[in-house]
Order: sequence, then C-alpha cells, then structure tokens
Amino acid sequence: MTGTPLPADLPDDRLPDVLGKALAGLYTGPARLPARPGGRTEALAALHAWTGAGYANRNFLHGNVSRLSMYLRHGMLGLREVAAHARSVMRGRERDEFLRQLAWAEFYRLVLRQEGARVLGNLEDPKYPARWTPDLPDDVRTGATGLPCVDAWLRHLMRDGWMHNHERLWFAAYLVHWRGVHWRAGYALFREHLLDGDIANNALSWQWVASTFSNKPYFMNRDNIDRYSSGRWCGTCTAECPFRAPYETLEGQLFGGRA
Amino acid sequence: MTGRVVWMHGDGLSVTDPALHAHPDAPAVFVFDRPFLRGTPVAFPRLAFMYQGVRDVAAHRPGLTEVRVGGVAEELAAFAARHAATELHVTRNFTPDFARIVDDLRAACPEVRVVIHEPERLTGYAGPLRRFFGFWKKVEREVLHGDAPARGHR
Ligand SMILES: Cc1cc2nc3c(=O)[nH]c(=O)nc-3n(C[C@H](O)[C@H](O)[C@H](O)COP(=O)(O)OP(=O)(O)OC[C@H]3O[C@@H](n4cnc5c(N)ncnc54)[C@H](O)[C@@H]3O)c2cc1C
Repeated sequence: MTGTPLPADLPDDRLPDVLGKALAGLYTGPARLPARPGGRTEALAALHAWTGAGYANRNFLHGNVSRLSMYLRHGMLGLREVAAHARSVMRGRERDEFLRQLAWAEFYRLVLRQEGARVLGNLEDPKYPARWTPDLPDDVRTGATGLPCVDAWLRHLMRDGWMHNHERLWFAAYLVHWRGVHWRAGYALFREHLLDGDIANNALSWQWVASTFSNKPYFMNRDNIDRYSSGRWCGTCTAECPFRAPYETLEGQLFGGRA
Repeated sequence: MTGRVVWMHGDGLSVTDPALHAHPDAPAVFVFDRPFLRGTPVAFPRLAFMYQGVRDVAAHRPGLTEVRVGGVAEELAAFAARHAATELHVTRNFTPDFARIVDDLRAACPEVRVVIHEPERLTGYAGPLRRFFGFWKKVEREVLHGDAPARGHR
C-alpha cells in the first residue's frame, strides 16, 4: 500500500496547512483557500441566490453572469437542475440566452465523448497560415506583459481562479494570434489555475478561438475591449496597444487577410 | 452478500452523483492522483476546492467516505480489498483518463466487477457533432422548454 490517507473533515482554517503537507510537491503556488468555497451545499446556495436578472448584459465584464461554472465542472451542480432553476426564475430572452450557454457546455462534453483524447490536439487545420510556438512566454506566465488589460486578465485567472468569458476570449486571441503561441500552452495555463478548468470546455474553447474547431479565428480590437470592459483600462492606458486598429487592418496583420 | 464500494472522482463531487446516490451506505473513496499531479501543474486552490467538495459529500452521507493520495487504480484496488468488495461503482466521465483507470483496475483485480453509472445529461442528443449551431437546432426545444427529447435524436 503506497498511498496516504487524509481526514475527510478538515475545517477550512486547517485545510491549507494539512492538505498542503499531504500534497507537497504535487501543486503550484501557495497553499491557500479558493476564492469561492467548493461543495454541494455552497453550490446550492449560489444557485438559489442567483436570479439571472441582468443576464442580458452578460458580454460586459460588469454583467451579471452566474459564476456557477466551477460547481458545474465538479458535478456539485448538474446542468439539468441549473436549467430547471433558470426556467423557473428567468424570463424571455435572458432565460433563453442563459439556457443556450448551458447547451454549449453540454455540446463540448459530447464532443469530448465523441473525439476522446483527440480534443487535446488540433481537431482541424487552422484557417490561416499559423506558425505557433509551443511554449508559454515568461512575461505571460508571470502576468507582466506590460499591457494593463492583459495583466489584469491574468491576475483574475491566478488570484480568483475564474475569468469572465470575454476575458477568456480576449486573452486566448492575444496569446494565439498576437503572440503566436499554440493554444495548448494557454489550455495548460487555464487548467492550472481555473476552478472550472476541464478538458472539454477548456480545450475546445481554445480551439474555437484558434480556428482549429471553428470556421475562422476569433479576434478583437481595442474598441471591443474598451466597450465590454466599460472603459476599465483603455482610457488611462499609455502602453503601445497592439489591439488599436480597425478589424480589417488587424485581420491583414494577423492572418494575412485570409481569415 | 455483495460488498460494494464507490469511487468518487472530480466530475461528481456531490451526494447527487449517480453512483454515490445509488449506494449511500457503501464506503466511498476519492483519490488525489499523485502520478497525474506530479506531471501536471495544478494550483493549490483548485485542489482545495475539490477537497471541500469531498468533505461536503462525507458530511451528508451515512457511508464511510475516505480521501487518499496515490495512484488511482492501485488505491481503488486496495480500497475494494479492504472492504471485501466484489463491486466497485462509479459514474462515467468522458475523459481519456477515466477509461484508462477503469482498464487498469479491471486488469489489476478481475474479481471486482466495475459497475458504471451514466452521468446526468442536459439533452438526449446522441447523434454526431460538428458545430454548435447544428447541435443547437436539434436540442433547442428540449433545452428551452425542458421537453422530452425530439424524436429522431438517436
Ligand atoms: C479560452 C476559453 C477557455 C474556457 N475554459 C473553460 C473551462 O475550462 N471550463 C468551463 O466551464 N468553461 C470554460 N470556458 C467557457 C466560459 O468562459 C465559462 O464557462 C464561463 O465564463 C463561466 O462563467 P459563468 O458560470 O458565470 O457563466 P454563465 O454565463 O453564467 O453561464 C452559465 C454556464 O453555462 C456554461 N457556459 C457559459 N458560457 C460557456 C461557453 N462559452 N462555453 C461552454 N460553456 C459555457 C458554463 O457551464 C456556465 O457556468 C472557456 C472559454 C474560453 C473562451
């Protein structure tokens, strides 16, 4: 018998110390509690507290999204019960939009079932002449790219273990298209830090941005970031902005105009 | 009498997990996968989040719930042996690791029958998949209204 037993009732105040020792050498970063507590009881409280009001603004960073993904990821909530809750408390287009997002999670799970380990490699050829390098650059790993918006997204990832969907999309596009890094390096960084990090949603969303599981690459420009972040960074930013151009110009720069 | 144990993994950390739900009194085990974690960087809060999930399960079921650190298939085999179990129940997940661990376990202890419970699904869709849009058109009614799956899904 090689394994080590652990008590199943460690209170939160002892958890980082005791679990940290038991898992020594098996994790990165400091041993600390997650930004949101795990468990079915917490998950149900979060579900019941969520009314979905304001979900129409879900694409804005300040929009009221559910933040239930980490509970869904670990089966602390099921897609069915979350859908049933949404059908009973939400109305109209907001409700439909939310249910459609749940269907994305179901879709990705089923793609994983269909494709198996193939989802960890390019499912299709990229739709532009991509030359991606495999390794995550150091400035990205340390969250010190010098771009205030990108560094903030990385801070959210590493501190909170959660990012807004738009931040994930922007960051993925930045890493793959602007920095020319293979999506797998981004997938691994997300898997390391996200409380909701999984294989299906994570790998397939990266592939969707990279265009290896979609018909064209996803990208954004500064206006898009400024708008959906409600001016959080751009107004005061003095960095040399790689996103500042009309879409057509960026398309030519990034994809040779062929995307 | 058939001795049963339940294997709890990271996709089903809730008393509502089908395998756990079917056998509330059976001893259950969750294993932090040492070889996997050695080779794959994972930040601590994620592991603590999972631990909190297991702890909540342990507090809400009558059966014994254990947490271990080690190789998953070996730990499961030893757990089944300690409890004289002839059946190990688990809920399927679609990760490549799941299938590998089940194969390893079956090879290591052929005397233990591995019983796989199906996970809960949002839809009854069973056809081939390519793009979300095509999928959505097929499941839209079912997802939006909670209707029974449309005919012709399978
Ligand atoms: C590059 C990239 C990587 C991602 N990696 C993950 C991941 O590892 N795990 C993960 O759960 N999600 C991932 N997503 C999808 C999405 O960003 C998150 O599910 C969502 O932001 C979670 O926040 P929420 O719970 O507040 O979402 P809400 O908007 O409240 O949506 C409710 C639920 O619907 C599902 N959902 C919402 N948007 C999506 C989406 N675009 N794709 C799939 N399911 C969705 C989630 O289960 C979510 O909890 C990724 C997206 C991108 C662009």
